[in-house]
Amino acid sequence: MLHVLTMLLAALLALPLVAEAQKPIKVGMPMPLSGPPALFGDPATKGAQMFVDEINAKGGVLGRKLELLVRDSKADANEAVRVARELILKENVDFLVGTLTSAEGPAVSVVAKENKIVFIAPIPKTDQLTAADKLHPYVFRVAATTTMEGRSAAEIVARWPVTRVATISFDYAYGQDVTRAFVEHLKKIKPTVEIVDQEWPKLGEQDYNPFINAQMAKKPEAIFSSIWGGFFVTYSKQAKALGVFDAIRYNFIGVGEAATPETTKSMGADYPVGIWGNSYDAFYWGETPAHRDYTARLSKYLKDEYPSSWAIQGYIGMQFLTEAIKKAGSTDSDKVSKALLGLTVDTPVGALTIREKDHQANRGQLYGKTVKDAKYPFAIMKPVTYVDPSKFMD
Amino acid sequence: MPDASFVFAQSLSGLTAAMFLFLIASGLSLIFGVLRVLNFAHGAFYMLGAYLAYQSMLWLGPGPGLFWIAALGAALGVALLGGVVERVLFRYLYGKEELYQLLFTYALGLILSDVAKIFWGTQQKSVSRPPELAGSFSLFGATIPQYNLFIIVLGPSIALAFWFVLQRTRAGRFIRAAALDRETLGALGVNVDALYTWVFMLASFLGGLGGALISPMRATTPGMDTEVIVEAFVVVVIGGLGSLWGTFLGAVVYGQVLSFGILFFPRFSIFAVFALMAAVLIVRPWGFLGRPLR
Repeated sequence: MLHVLTMLLAALLALPLVAEAQKPIKVGMPMPLSGPPALFGDPATKGAQMFVDEINAKGGVLGRKLELLVRDSKADANEAVRVARELILKENVDFLVGTLTSAEGPAVSVVAKENKIVFIAPIPKTDQLTAADKLHPYVFRVAATTTMEGRSAAEIVARWPVTRVATISFDYAYGQDVTRAFVEHLKKIKPTVEIVDQEWPKLGEQDYNPFINAQMAKKPEAIFSSIWGGFFVTYSKQAKALGVFDAIRYNFIGVGEAATPETTKSMGADYPVGIWGNSYDAFYWGETPAHRDYTARLSKYLKDEYPSSWAIQGYIGMQFLTEAIKKAGSTDSDKVSKALLGLTVDTPVGALTIREKDHQANRGQLYGKTVKDAKYPFAIMKPVTYVDPSKFMD
Repeated sequence: MPDASFVFAQSLSGLTAAMFLFLIASGLSLIFGVLRVLNFAHGAFYMLGAYLAYQSMLWLGPGPGLFWIAALGAALGVALLGGVVERVLFRYLYGKEELYQLLFTYALGLILSDVAKIFWGTQQKSVSRPPELAGSFSLFGATIPQYNLFIIVLGPSIALAFWFVLQRTRAGRFIRAAALDRETLGALGVNVDALYTWVFMLASFLGGLGGALISPMRATTPGMDTEVIVEAFVVVVIGGLGSLWGTFLGAVVYGQVLSFGILFFPRFSIFAVFALMAAVLIVRPWGFLGRPLR
């Protein structure tokens, strides 16, 4: 009798444990879903959701389902912090994966540190996010950094037959950091280069005419731009009208994903075909079977023949988190944080590793010269090259 | 010292920006002058103008002359919407406290921009420049896009037409009278309610036209409404609330300060504009051509 009672009691005690095991692992995702940055934020959440749906269909992680809670951060640091706190306090999320701009990323990193919750940033590039004085055990990044991006661009520009180089970037963390990295690296590998002009419009500028006139008055032979997203559409329309691209013979490189299929698609015939640009992903890349398979699944998931190049960042962010949870065998942030150090994951763009010393993945980007291709009604990068940043991350 | 061709190019780009701002700010100024409401939703009308132009271009397809039909259609569509909004909603705002008006028009702007998001999503939309004006030409060593020149000519034309209607026509007399004394005008047998609706539609038309005409130069995205409304307010404030030529002058000065500001303070051109506004508010709180309030 006593034996049965003990067993009953044990079973009762075990119930909450079972229930605990059935509860989903909650992941909070602050991401801009309004304003021009939503162009990237929105597909990034879709990529993350696709990953979650796929893993849940296979039974989840540690026997538990993943649940993604997406909130609009409005591309604003204060708003991102507010929704991150809300996700932690009200929704009790176990982890944070998200943010887009270089203003939001470091702000949410502070929240993650305070609450001791693992935070994986899939898109913000500012070096400050993982700089030695800002680094803490809970912040990780699977995006490129401004150093990596600026140096990759410098490697390309150094090959051009030009010496008079100008830059145009938004006057805030990302614009300043990536431009500095570009200029420093370019001067190092090609000392004959002269920086003849630097323009700094405010973030979100709508009228670039005065900046373009001022820049062209200095007669540059090449231009480096980090005007990103929908802003690049506005910038390049105005620059094209003022004859910028012809004047510099298309010696123009647009980082900040200026050659992303979304941008070339939305501009159609207005795109300044012939410039160089970069992108996190391109559905037409198809380098490896893994990438082709990912693109096919994404295309089906988004019901889009030419699926977004930004979904991959949400996807990879969730992939790293999931692999770390598996490796740690726990959803405890301290254990997952340790598991992320040195973790290598087979992503659709190849094997990526998060470095132990600065919590930074060696995430490179695709670079190429844009050309018209009869197969598509918009410009593509051809040939498109994945620039592995491993050799110039430090 | 920068060379002359650069100064010339810079002043023209300032003028282009100014004429766009004038289109938008004139509607804002008109509504305030006559209806006595500061319409924060005006930026949303401008945004809808851009989206409707984009949508019309999708329906019409590329072709000579079609952009102008799309732009005009978009502006008329926005005017129509403005008429409905005035009839159904604004009507209840007249004579209310400024705070209520502000909250209401601000909320309306937010709602309209969310509606735009439902229809067109968050992705940027882009309209090509009309083929007739796609080229550019050289003048005094500066490259001038034809489209910019068209805008520079259009601005003063609209200001003159506006002035003519207000000063020389019967409808203009009514509008001026309504701005001065609504009750007396009503007592004299003029249908003031209908007049208000027409004025609101005209103002919305100008806002919508501004948005439609700017779409070939910028990306059409959510958020473009809030950006422009701040600039338009600065223009109206320095020019003088409710004054047509004041708004025109305010826009021109704004454009030039912005253009040449980046020459002298490359990283503080925005600062120059707001410093200008602060200076005007201190020295002449009623703006360049406004009248001091009693």
